[in-house]
Amino acid sequence: MEAARRDPHAFEALYRKYVAQVYSFALYELRNPHAAEDLTAQVFLRALAGLSEFREQGAGDESSFRVWLFQICRNSISNERRRQRRHPEAPLDTVLDHAAPDDVAERAADRQELARALAAIYALPADRRRALVLRFVHEMSAREIGQVLGKSESAVRVTIHRALRQVTEQLRQPRGPAH
Amino acid sequence: MLGREDEAVIQADAYIDALLAAHGGLPAALPDAAAGPSEQLRRTIELLEARLPRFHPSFRFEEALAGRLRAAASMDSSAPRPPGSTIPQLPIDTRLPGLAENVMFDRRLLLGGAIASGVSLAGAAMFVRAQRRSGRARSRREWLS
Repeated sequence: MEAARRDPHAFEALYRKYVAQVYSFALYELRNPHAAEDLTAQVFLRALAGLSEFREQGAGDESSFRVWLFQICRNSISNERRRQRRHPEAPLDTVLDHAAPDDVAERAADRQELARALAAIYALPADRRRALVLRFVHEMSAREIGQVLGKSESAVRVTIHRALRQVTEQLRQPRGPAH
Repeated sequence: MLGREDEAVIQADAYIDALLAAHGGLPAALPDAAAGPSEQLRRTIELLEARLPRFHPSFRFEEALAGRLRAAASMDSSAPRPPGSTIPQLPIDTRLPGLAENVMFDRRLLLGGAIASGVSLAGAAMFVRAQRRSGRARSRREWLS
């Protein structure tokens, strides 16, 4: 174990474990696969550089490493958003196409369902959207989400509940033009 | 005493926990309809749990970034360190068999669909997840139509 403490190459195992999660969170936020890749690279390079600052506060499945990684990701996304303000927001189709590259006729209903869910998610304010994505896509607990977003556990639960009510309302609206 | 919103918040959270646990293969009892969130909220929770995908970057990107990280780690480890400084204990042990299995699982997905075609792993990952969940999703689709 002492060897692992001194071996930065062990970081690759963490990278392999979490790369899809970081990329996925970035893609939900930025809606652009290339921007999501750039951000993912930024996050892991920053994490590697800052590894000596990381303080483990859990053990095993309760490791706080993922939360720390997502905190870096959230900060990087905020920086990226500030930089992107001059640019138009990517269309929803960018994410949708990335989600269903094997789209065929029999999967049309799945695609439509996914499109409605994503449209509802993207109609939410940022904090509600992020809380939902972390809860449902990354299966984080309210406590972990609170640590990532800088909120209390109870505030996260309320945020998620309000987001769910808003999504429910959105899904009850008559359908707009198909994506 | 809890207010109505407080109760609804707790019920929704418990319902999400139960669904996610069931999805993860853990034993979980879904709350009774009377004790759980409203029917409409439950359907929204089920839809999001079933349909929101986790994306995977392309194999080419993943490997390229792994190479950059290895190079950065090599530079970092060869740099002089202040006396007494160490790299902190990592939260996982790379020798654990579970980790190797997880990595292999991703690789099997890759071999199953992405390497040969050069297509992003997203397709393979989405396909597997969609297949796993399609049964449940199908039953919910009526609500959206």
